[in-house]
Amino acid sequence: MGYRSLKRDRRESEWVHANITPMLNLMVILIPLLLNSAEFVRLGIIELNLPPAAVSANGQMLAELPQEEIVHLDLTVTITDRGFFISSSLAVLGGEKEGEPSISKVNGEYDFNMLSMQLYQIKQKAGYRFPDTDRIILMAEPEIDYQTVISTMDAARSLYYNGEMIELFPEVSISGGVL
Amino acid sequence: MAFIPSHKKRPRENPGQARLQLTSMMDMFTIILVFLLKIYSTHGQLINPSEDLTLPSSKVQQLPELGLDVTVSSDWILVNGKPVEQTQNIIEQEGYIIPRLQEELLRYSTEAEKMEILYGAEFSGKATIQGDKHLPYRLLIKVMATCGQSNFPNMRLVVYREE
Repeated sequence: MGYRSLKRDRRESEWVHANITPMLNLMVILIPLLLNSAEFVRLGIIELNLPPAAVSANGQMLAELPQEEIVHLDLTVTITDRGFFISSSLAVLGGEKEGEPSISKVNGEYDFNMLSMQLYQIKQKAGYRFPDTDRIILMAEPEIDYQTVISTMDAARSLYYNGEMIELFPEVSISGGVL
Repeated sequence: MAFIPSHKKRPRENPGQARLQLTSMMDMFTIILVFLLKIYSTHGQLINPSEDLTLPSSKVQQLPELGLDVTVSSDWILVNGKPVEQTQNIIEQEGYIIPRLQEELLRYSTEAEKMEILYGAEFSGKATIQGDKHLPYRLLIKVMATCGQSNFPNMRLVVYREE
C-alpha cells in the first residue's frame, strides 16, 4: 500500500548520516596543496631610486636649461650614532644645541616619528618651489646597521598619522658618504 | 527529584557496525581551508629567503619581483645561492668595488645579454639584495656600488613586510 511504504521511508531516513567521505577526500587534497603554496612570511621590496644619469658640466643637456640656475632642494638625512642630521642645499636643520644632531636619539633609540614629522614640515615649507620635492638622499655612518637604514627610509617615505598615510619623499636615494 | 531523561535512549540502528564520527574533523578542516585560502597568494614565492640571515622589516607594500639574487649574510656574499666572497674580507677592504662579486656579476650580465640577442629575453639589470639586518652600512654600500658598476643598476632591497 502506498501510504504504508511512505511512512516507513520517513522513519528510516531519520538516522541516515550525510556521506561526508568525498568531501573529506577533497579536503585532504586541498589542504596540502594550499599549505604548499601558502606564503607565511610576506616579503616586499624597496626599489632604490638611483639619481638620474649625471650630465657632464659642459654637456649638451646644459645648453637646454634656462639661463637661471635651477635650485635643487637636495634634502639629505644623515644617520649618525647620535641621531639624524637633516640638511638641504639651503640650510642645515640645527639641533637643540650647537653641534647636536637635528633629531637626537631618545633613550638610545632613533626617533623615527620625530624624523617623519620634521620632514613633513619641510615638505610643507618647500611646497613645489623645487624640482625635486619627492627626492631625498640618505647617508649613514659606516657602522649604522641595515635595519636602521631601512627604518629611516620608511620614515622618509611616508608619515603615518592617525592611521592615515601621508606621502613625504618617496624617491629615496642612497649616498655612499665617507668611508 | 529523580533525573528524568529528556529523551529516551534510542536503540542503535546497526549494533554490529561502528561508525566513525567525522563531523568535528570536517569542522576543523573547513576552518583550516578557509584560513589557507585567505593567506593564499597567486604570486607564489618569487624570492626564497636565505636561511642564515634575518631580513629587516619595513612598512613598504611593494611586492617582490624577479631579479638576480645577491645575498649578503654575516658570513658570505652569495650570487644566486653560490658563495662568492667572505663578508669579513670585505668589511676591511678599502674602496667600493668588490672584485670577486663584480667578476661574478659581469659573468651573469654577459650571459643575459647573450640571451637577449639570441632569444630576445630582455635584460633589465634587476638585482634583488637580501641583507642581514645587522649588516653595517659600509658593507651594504660596497655591495650596492659593485652591483651598480657591474650592469645591475636596478637594485631592490628585500625586506619583510609589516602589516
